[in-house]
Amino acid sequence: MIQIQEVNKTFRDEDTHVYALRDIHLTIDKGEAFGVIGESGAGKSTLLRLLNALERPDSGRVLVGDHQVNQLSRKDLRAYQKDVSMVFQQFNLLNNKTVEENVRLPLTLHQYDHPLTVDAVLNFVGLEDKKHSYPSQLSGGQKQRVGIARALISRPTLLLCDEPTSALDQNTTEEIVNVLKKAHEVFGMTIIVVTHELAVIKALCDRSAVMEDGRIVDIVSVQKSAELTDFKSYHERAIEVLTHA
Amino acid sequence: MPETLSIYIERVIDFAPRMVDSLWETSIMLFFAMLAAILVGLPVGTLLFLSADGRPNENRLINRSLNAVVNIIRSFPFLLLVVAMQPLIREVYGRATGDPIAASFPMIVIAIALYARFVEQSLMDVPNGIIETAQSMGATTWQMVWKFLYVEARSSLVIGFTTAVISFISYSTIMGVVGGGGIGDFAIRYGYQRYETDIMYTAIIVIIILVEVFQWFGLRLAKSIDKR
Repeated sequence: MIQIQEVNKTFRDEDTHVYALRDIHLTIDKGEAFGVIGESGAGKSTLLRLLNALERPDSGRVLVGDHQVNQLSRKDLRAYQKDVSMVFQQFNLLNNKTVEENVRLPLTLHQYDHPLTVDAVLNFVGLEDKKHSYPSQLSGGQKQRVGIARALISRPTLLLCDEPTSALDQNTTEEIVNVLKKAHEVFGMTIIVVTHELAVIKALCDRSAVMEDGRIVDIVSVQKSAELTDFKSYHERAIEVLTHA
Repeated sequence: MPETLSIYIERVIDFAPRMVDSLWETSIMLFFAMLAAILVGLPVGTLLFLSADGRPNENRLINRSLNAVVNIIRSFPFLLLVVAMQPLIREVYGRATGDPIAASFPMIVIAIALYARFVEQSLMDVPNGIIETAQSMGATTWQMVWKFLYVEARSSLVIGFTTAVISFISYSTIMGVVGGGGIGDFAIRYGYQRYETDIMYTAIIVIIILVEVFQWFGLRLAKSIDKR
């Protein structure tokens, strides 16, 4: 279970203070698919980054399982981060490494007891034929699937997705949402998705927090759409937008 | 004209053994400078990068001190650095003049400072997201440097090294002042002091070829390892 209690976070410039998070209280169940939506600058990425200590709160507590994330020593933090994976908006792949080397990367940093194999995880995301390619030879959607494969290979207990589809077009978004959905079903980890795209949350998450100006203004239960009605082919959308008044 | 040419060729053949000797001296100085650049300049540059404000291993004291040292070395006119280092070289090596190994000491110092700066700049070009990815995966600083930063910066590190080596060639030409020898010293002695202009130009052409070869090889290597 994840508990965020009374968390505040401010970013300071020379003389300006930006309140990124204000008085955040949030509980997320183990194995839940949880969404965080809001406009840009609402603080949702900062909230997500608290959970793997890329950001530290100014006050309050961040509890994940037995760990108080913002109090861990360097060594304990590394051990904690071992089981938390992140999927990034800009994929953050190493461009000088092949797909296989990128996916294997987490396994070269820590000892894992039962990791997946590179072949299994590439097969899972549908990129078994791209094993020896470099990221520059892949499309945006394929790059993100490599990013997801890299996140899954260690069998994380918590998967953090920071705007996983925001750099992609709508049809590729569907592709990525399906992979994430399948990952959640098969591996059962807790998954937290931050995005401004409502359709992504609707297809993927059980509950979602709505953020505005650094605050959680609501937490809603998502009526999941069985079919991804929001996703249409580019042709269909073009016709809809261009030919209707 | 053919006669002038044959006289010139004869003179070059005459001078060739001395020119080869001087190239050997240049190689010794370049070898030590390159070694120092890789073994010390690379870690110093990496430390400069990692310890800067806002970086994972932010450390003002280390960063400011290293910065100051690098800047002081680089702001020395090289000839003055050579002269200023004489007492130190004599202390450490026993003699400060008259051989290329003694002459390598100032080359080593400038090589470290120069390449450290190039390394720092190369690492600055690595996207921030790569560092964040390493941090999110719980990488140690050592792992972040070797498995992330150097991997993504490798072609830029090679290009920086090439540029640095070409500067080392230029610096090495000064070492004649303290009897270090080298191809630059050869050109000055014969061309400037003995008015054997043709031999001086020949030596200059050899230096140009040397630079071209380094540049060509460096760029080729950088290109072949760049998969971005």
